[in-house]
Amino acid sequence: MNTIPVRHIILIIEDEVSLRNALRDKFSREGFFVISANDGETGLSTALKEQPHVILLDVVMPKMDGISMLKKLRLENEWGKNVPVILLTNLGADDEKVMKEIKEDKSAYYLVKSDWPINDLIAKIREILS
Amino acid sequence: MPVLKVKRDYMPLKKAILNILEDLADNEKELLQKKALDEAILSSIGEGLVVVDKEGKITYVNQAFEQMVGWKSAEVIGKYVVEVVPRESEKGEVVEFNERILTKVLSGEIVMADLTNPFYYICKNKSRFPASSIVTPIILNNEIIGVVETFRDITKEKEIDKTKTEFVSLASHQLRTPLSTINWYTEMLLAGDVGKLNPEQEKYLKEVYRGNQRMVSLVNALLSVSRMDLGTFTFELEQTDVTQLVQNVVNDQKPQIEAKGIKTSFDFETKFPIVQSDPKVLRIIFENLLSNSVKYTPDRGKIKLTLSQNLKNKTFTFSISDTGYGIPENQQNRIFSKLFRADNVRQRDTEGTGLGLYIVKAVVDNSGGKVWFESKEDKGTIFHVEFPISINKEANKLFK
Repeated sequence: MNTIPVRHIILIIEDEVSLRNALRDKFSREGFFVISANDGETGLSTALKEQPHVILLDVVMPKMDGISMLKKLRLENEWGKNVPVILLTNLGADDEKVMKEIKEDKSAYYLVKSDWPINDLIAKIREILS
Repeated sequence: MPVLKVKRDYMPLKKAILNILEDLADNEKELLQKKALDEAILSSIGEGLVVVDKEGKITYVNQAFEQMVGWKSAEVIGKYVVEVVPRESEKGEVVEFNERILTKVLSGEIVMADLTNPFYYICKNKSRFPASSIVTPIILNNEIIGVVETFRDITKEKEIDKTKTEFVSLASHQLRTPLSTINWYTEMLLAGDVGKLNPEQEKYLKEVYRGNQRMVSLVNALLSVSRMDLGTFTFELEQTDVTQLVQNVVNDQKPQIEAKGIKTSFDFETKFPIVQSDPKVLRIIFENLLSNSVKYTPDRGKIKLTLSQNLKNKTFTFSISDTGYGIPENQQNRIFSKLFRADNVRQRDTEGTGLGLYIVKAVVDNSGGKVWFESKEDKGTIFHVEFPISINKEANKLFK
């Protein structure tokens, strides 16, 4: 009996329209089911409702920043505590701050957007999901 | 016997003596006036001025000194200047007596001004201000009889510099977002995500991608510089496998190395230990030095990487030598300056930023290490980086 391959759900939380669209298009083409949000507050409620397999989370955003959203998510429930979250930064001077915040969080990762080719990002997410 | 009395006329002598006395009085008055004028000039100099004798005891301070430091002239004359006005580093470490420029100048040492390392003077009320100073020996009959130091408060310059650095940091951060957009969309186009490109389209798009990558590197370098200048560059120590790290950096740059047909060789000390260091910092250093060697070595040249440890002074040394263009002798003293590029490489490579070696020097200095080089034009260059190690015995056992 053939098993139907799991279509992974990815939640992209990014306020920059151009980046959000680039990520949405690429992940859709790669077979992911994409949902998106443009700020931390909407992102948190969408995450809790849809319970995606993985979350791509921008750091600097209106209403609620990525770090605050991640902290709230981890306190919500068992799913929120363990879902893999990849923080996307462009912070430069505050990268260390982000690293410190997620140091103890085994399901959180961080990468600098301008340094990561989009195909490497896909590969990283597949690796995390496997 | 008649006594002959000589009648002497004392009047001309008296007049002559009076004239001499009058001249002396005039001279003294003139000297006093000159002295008063000299003192007025010294006193009016806008920069702080302190004169010390050969023991380092204060013999004169001007008004600006009194205003800046808070001590009155009468309170400090005859006291050791290093005790009256302690000097501190940016981190608040007091500069020892023997390390004070003034002490070195008194002992006849020629001291070059180090403008990249600001210092602070501590005032009477224990507050401090950043200062820039010039220390000059007073030489009489070929002997140093004291030192004169002028200094000024550079608080405003530092504030302007900080604002400029913050601006660079902010601008670089803002630039990264559109650069990421260009990167990702170009990658998708090049991958054929939205249709196959014809060879010309692909060629042009690769140029766009390469140009954007260059911009990303420049922005990253500017960000690193601004982080160092702002003091927000932090060091996080962890057990680091340096040999593996060097190999990884070489692997990352393999395409550029192979494109120029450069031969690389390694001379790593056997049983090189796992060290307690910041891999992020070491990577910045290795990447910059290697990419320089690759860029500035002609096709089919050679690059050798060496790693050795010195157990005596608990350090390890990373060296990288190349058969490249070398650094012109008359420009070697400027090679670590921000945005500086030597003339011979400026002509050959237009893409450098002049920030790489500045970043290397800054991170090495901040980690308590040192970096130096030997170079001969058209023969090659060897850079050495010495780093302190705190060898972690537990990790070392595992590594072996």
